[in-house]
Amino acid sequence: MSRSLLPLIGKLWLFAILFFLYAPILVMAAMSFNASPFYQLPFELSTRWYQQMAGNGQILSAALRSVGIAMVTTLVATALGTAASIGLFRYDFAGKKVLMVLLFPPIAIPWLITGTAMLIFFFAIGIGRGTPAVIIGHVALALPYVIVTVTARLSSFDITLEEAARSMGANSWTVLRRVTLPWIAPGVVAGGLFAFAVSFDQFVVSYFLSEPGDSTLPVLIYTAIRKGFTPEINAISTIIIAVSMLIMFLATRYSRFAGDR
Amino acid sequence: MSAVDVQNVTKRFGQTVALDDVSISFEDGGFFALLGPSGSGKTTLLRTIAGFHFAETGAIRIGDRNVENVPVEKRDIGMMFQNYALFPNMSVADNVGFGLRVRKVAAAEERRRIAEALELVQLGAMAERRPSQLSGGQRQRVALARAIVTNPKVLLLDEPLSALDKTLRVDMQIELKRIQREIGITTIFVTHDQEEALTLSDRIGILKDGRIVQVGPPREVYDKPVDAFTAGFLGDANWVPESWLSALRLPQPANGHSFAVRPEALSMAQARLDGMNAVAGRLTQRVFAGAMATCLIEVEGQKWKLIARDRDIPEITGDGAVWLNWRPEDTMAVRA
Amino acid sequence: MTELTASADRRRLFALLSPAYLWLTLAVFLPLSAMLFFSFLTDLPQDNPDWSATFDNYARFLTNPTYAILMWKSVKLGLMVTLGCVLIGYPCALVLARTIKGRARETLFLLVILPFWSNSLVRIFSWAIVLRGNGMLEHALNWLLPFELRLELMFTTHAVVIGLIHSYLPYVILTSYLALQAIDDDLVDAARSMGASKLTILRRILLPLSLPGLLAGAVLVFVPVVGSFMEPRILGGRMGTYYGTLIEDQFVSVYNWPLGAALSFTLLAVVLLILACASPILGKART
Repeated sequence: MSRSLLPLIGKLWLFAILFFLYAPILVMAAMSFNASPFYQLPFELSTRWYQQMAGNGQILSAALRSVGIAMVTTLVATALGTAASIGLFRYDFAGKKVLMVLLFPPIAIPWLITGTAMLIFFFAIGIGRGTPAVIIGHVALALPYVIVTVTARLSSFDITLEEAARSMGANSWTVLRRVTLPWIAPGVVAGGLFAFAVSFDQFVVSYFLSEPGDSTLPVLIYTAIRKGFTPEINAISTIIIAVSMLIMFLATRYSRFAGDR
Repeated sequence: MSAVDVQNVTKRFGQTVALDDVSISFEDGGFFALLGPSGSGKTTLLRTIAGFHFAETGAIRIGDRNVENVPVEKRDIGMMFQNYALFPNMSVADNVGFGLRVRKVAAAEERRRIAEALELVQLGAMAERRPSQLSGGQRQRVALARAIVTNPKVLLLDEPLSALDKTLRVDMQIELKRIQREIGITTIFVTHDQEEALTLSDRIGILKDGRIVQVGPPREVYDKPVDAFTAGFLGDANWVPESWLSALRLPQPANGHSFAVRPEALSMAQARLDGMNAVAGRLTQRVFAGAMATCLIEVEGQKWKLIARDRDIPEITGDGAVWLNWRPEDTMAVRA
Repeated sequence: MTELTASADRRRLFALLSPAYLWLTLAVFLPLSAMLFFSFLTDLPQDNPDWSATFDNYARFLTNPTYAILMWKSVKLGLMVTLGCVLIGYPCALVLARTIKGRARETLFLLVILPFWSNSLVRIFSWAIVLRGNGMLEHALNWLLPFELRLELMFTTHAVVIGLIHSYLPYVILTSYLALQAIDDDLVDAARSMGASKLTILRRILLPLSLPGLLAGAVLVFVPVVGSFMEPRILGGRMGTYYGTLIEDQFVSVYNWPLGAALSFTLLAVVLLILACASPILGKART
């Protein structure tokens, strides 16, 4: 009897967890289509909040800025991170372990600490607040994710392929372009998507580094919530969550992050 | 009475039939090898006896108990896995003692039996080591000690030697046989290695496509295979072309049968020998392999193989025309 | 892998590594050092030329009990959320890794970790909608239950804990799952063949072997929760003053940056202490 009962309980548990994880998000999404500004029921379908949002210049410019910052972050972090991964993978040298360990502070130290530290330092050296500061911070946070993802892909790369290419007379640039990069391409794409997600979803560091009135979308939402939230926030939040879930879905499909394949 | 009895067991995985109406008995205290190519169902049969799979139809008896509805942990079996499956988080002694602990054996008794089992596999000194600190052969022995320490009704071995290199494997075969004799446990052994099956077991069961093809003592199965598959799977077979049959002395009438000769039953000469069966062919290749040598001879467009001590094979000169002779009683008849 | 010998290789390695690590130095390591430096100042040099060195910012931590109390409150919150995540998440990972097979497992796993990568601020905000008075949860419960119920969960510690568990649960599931699914099926089969029950297998095989993963997940939850400020602000209301919100205030409303730096650094010290204690485990989990 216990043979069939225990897995059943387990599966119910799993589905309860999934419900717990998704229910609030779905409620929020549903409410963004509800006509009542006070989340009144019965539900009345309306795209009113989306229309209002589309007319809100502040939200639109914050959204554009968020996407722009995420794209720049993605480009820079992917380029730098991929180069570093190849260096870490290809060569054996003293201090390699240390360099690997140095990737963890940006991930492991609470962003509150990293963010306030950046704020202090950027003011001290004259960068101050604003979009450039945000980008510098985001790239630093995204780099470890790119390096870890690309390194994971590289670990399945057969180094003798590079040696074979060299034995046939290819120089190291050709080897990189024709042999190594094509192999790690899925890892690079996944790393880039992670970088985009890290930047696009980043709130804490952006919060401390962005200029008031010149903020990214999450920062704008936070300020709006604290002022007393409006259903417009539901609408833009629903869009954000849809976008970031889509990106992560793509990233996990490209990387081998989802466990055994 | 047999120790393990499998009757009319059928097991499907989705559309594939893994075991097709299998019936087989395993005698008490015997060493039984299940032999077959991959996908033949031998491992499925073993795991069904163990209880990891449940058969759709049929009955399985271990000792005097029907076990169709008994889960693995209540079947009182000992099992050895292909990659040993030693618990990496426990010492050798704890690995061996696991089954005793589960059975709530008293501490002193547990210690005594662990020591005894480790002694039996000659690993008494390794009790406190971790599995990761052992060599492949030593892990093998721990896995064996762990499987037998609870005095199970039957010992199930799933290709336990396949991960070892050749020399070690031969040592372990001898060791395994010694221990099995010493404790007299009924043993069922799955392997795809024909030589291993022939060396170790008292009885062999040959499987193909989920069916039992033949069961018998090693010599009988080797000398009198029932069909072409068994003849070819258990050693090499040279098939006698039909056009030659009338010229040969056969062990039985030809209708419905094919005839074959083992490579080692052949001898090569430049003439036909009296009282022997013989076919004419042309020597194409002679491969020296130390003590033994293999010759490839073309017979009627077929490749025949001869294996003999190198010094017993005469030098063939000229165009390589030879006669292959064998004793009439060495002709094997199998179902066509 | 190539041994580093030729100087050309050295140059190539430097060219590959230095941009990334220079960036990390500029954006993470130098700021952290700068914060340590500023935490010993009376004023910021750019604000007040009369700045001087002082231990006051740290002394306040000792003299004014508010800071220590809030730190303890945050640590307690961290422990609660971590415990919650472990108790809820580990069984979930267990089911995912050991019961469900094949494509269903892949899909479900993706579903579990997907929210984790989506915007945490928005997810916390969605709880505000669910938990608020006259919100979705009350509606749902009152529809299900025969009697009128007022939950009044919003702006309580419970709301903060629920929101944080929701945010960080996937961490524990992810690390536990990776550890659990790496366990060879044969080990479980072997234990069963020796007569072990499901509970024994969990207690003596699965739990010990996946413990590094579980603990890694716990640390990954605990550390950010101790430093959380946005979640308590949105869900905690007046109850939502924690060590993290205290730091936030120093930087965005009180503008006492040296004190903020000292508070941040104290938090960092606590976090580093925890990470140092856990690093052997984390190292083990990665291998």
